[in-house]
Amino acid sequence: MAQPNVTIYTTPSCVYCKMTKDFFAKHNVQYEEKNVATDLEARKEMVDKSHQLGVPVIDVGGDIVIGFDQKNLSTLLHIGQ
Amino acid sequence: MYDLVIVGGGPGGIAAGIYAARKKMKTALITDSFGGQSTVSAGIENWIGTKVISGFDLAKSLEEHVRAQTGIDIIEPDLVTSIAKKDEGMFALTTKEGKTLETKYVILASGSRRKRLGIPGEDAFDGKGVVFCTTCDAPLFSGQTVAVVGGGNSALESVLDLIPYAAKIYLLVRGDALKGDPVTQDKVKTHPQVEIVYGAVPQEITGSAFVDGLRYEDKNGGGVKTLPVTGVFVEIGLVPNSDFVKDLVKTEPYGHIVVDPATQATSCPGIWAIGDVTDSLYKQNNISVGEGVTAALNVYDKVKLA
Repeated sequence: MAQPNVTIYTTPSCVYCKMTKDFFAKHNVQYEEKNVATDLEARKEMVDKSHQLGVPVIDVGGDIVIGFDQKNLSTLLHIGQ
Repeated sequence: MYDLVIVGGGPGGIAAGIYAARKKMKTALITDSFGGQSTVSAGIENWIGTKVISGFDLAKSLEEHVRAQTGIDIIEPDLVTSIAKKDEGMFALTTKEGKTLETKYVILASGSRRKRLGIPGEDAFDGKGVVFCTTCDAPLFSGQTVAVVGGGNSALESVLDLIPYAAKIYLLVRGDALKGDPVTQDKVKTHPQVEIVYGAVPQEITGSAFVDGLRYEDKNGGGVKTLPVTGVFVEIGLVPNSDFVKDLVKTEPYGHIVVDPATQATSCPGIWAIGDVTDSLYKQNNISVGEGVTAALNVYDKVKLA
C-alpha cells in the first residue's frame, strides 16, 4: 500500500516535533516539513487545518494529528500492523 | 510475574531500571515516554558530567541506556492507571492499553505534570492561545502581546524564550516578589519588552476562535483588569502524578508521596517512590537518579532475603 502524503508543521525549538520526525525516520515515513516559525503561509495553512496554534501538526493524507500522538500516527500510517 | 515493576521513564525510573536489570531482577518498566519533564528544555546546564545537553538528547541517551540492558521488559508507550493489592503481598498493575502485570514490588517514578489555572477559558482555548510548552510555541507569537503567568523559574524561563519573538510580555505574579534564580530574575526585570504585574490573580481567558484577552484581579486594590493578549503561557508549578495510588500509599496534602529518605520506601510495604512524585525537598534530575538507585538497591535487598 502506498504511503499517504505526510506534512509536518514544526518550529525549530519544538521537542515533540523532533520526536515525531525521529518516529518517521525509524519507520521510513517520507514527509514534507514546514517551519511555521518563519513560513507565515505555512502557519496560516496549519491553523486552517487544525483550528489551533500548537506544534507539531501532522497532516496524514488529509487526516490531521495534533501533537506527537504515536498511537494515532501508527494507525494512520499502518505502522506495526 | 515480575520481581519489580517501575512506573515511569524519567531519569529516576531509568536509573532504577538499569540497576534492577544489572541485579538480574525480573523487571518491567512502563512509561508513556522517556526523559521526564526536562525533555522540553532547550538546554540543561546542571546535568552532572555534561556541560550542556538538550532535554531531547538527554531523553534519548537515557532511553538508549535502559534499552541496552538485557532482562528488562520495556512497555512503551503505555501508562499505569491503577494498582491493586493482591493476596500474599502481590500487586496487580493495570495499564491504559489494557495490560495487567503482576509483581512483588513496585517503584513509583510517575513524576509530576503542569498545574493548571482552573479558570474559565483555559480549557476552551488550550492550543488556541493558551500554551503549556513555551519552547514549542513561542515562535508562533512573533510581534504579539502575550502574558506569562507565574513567578518561579519556569515562568522566568518562559519569558526569556518569548523575548526573541513577542513584542510585549506581561508577567503576572500572584505574590509581591519573584521566586526564581536571581540571575534569571535580573534578566527578566531589566528587559524593556517585559512588564511585571505583581499581586495579579487571573480570573478568565477570553476570546472567540482564539485568545484575545486575560482578565485578572489586582490584589493591590485595582479591581478587575483586562490585558489585550493573544497568548497566555501558564507556568505556575507542578502537581504530582499520584492520583492512581492515593488509596494505597500515604501522601501529603499536595499529593506528594511520603517516603523514607533512607530507602525511598512508602507507607505501603512493597512499594517505593522516587523523584518528583515524592515529598523529597528538591526536584532535580540528578536527585531523581540517586533516589532511583537507592530504591532499586533496597528492592534488591528484599529480593535477596525472600
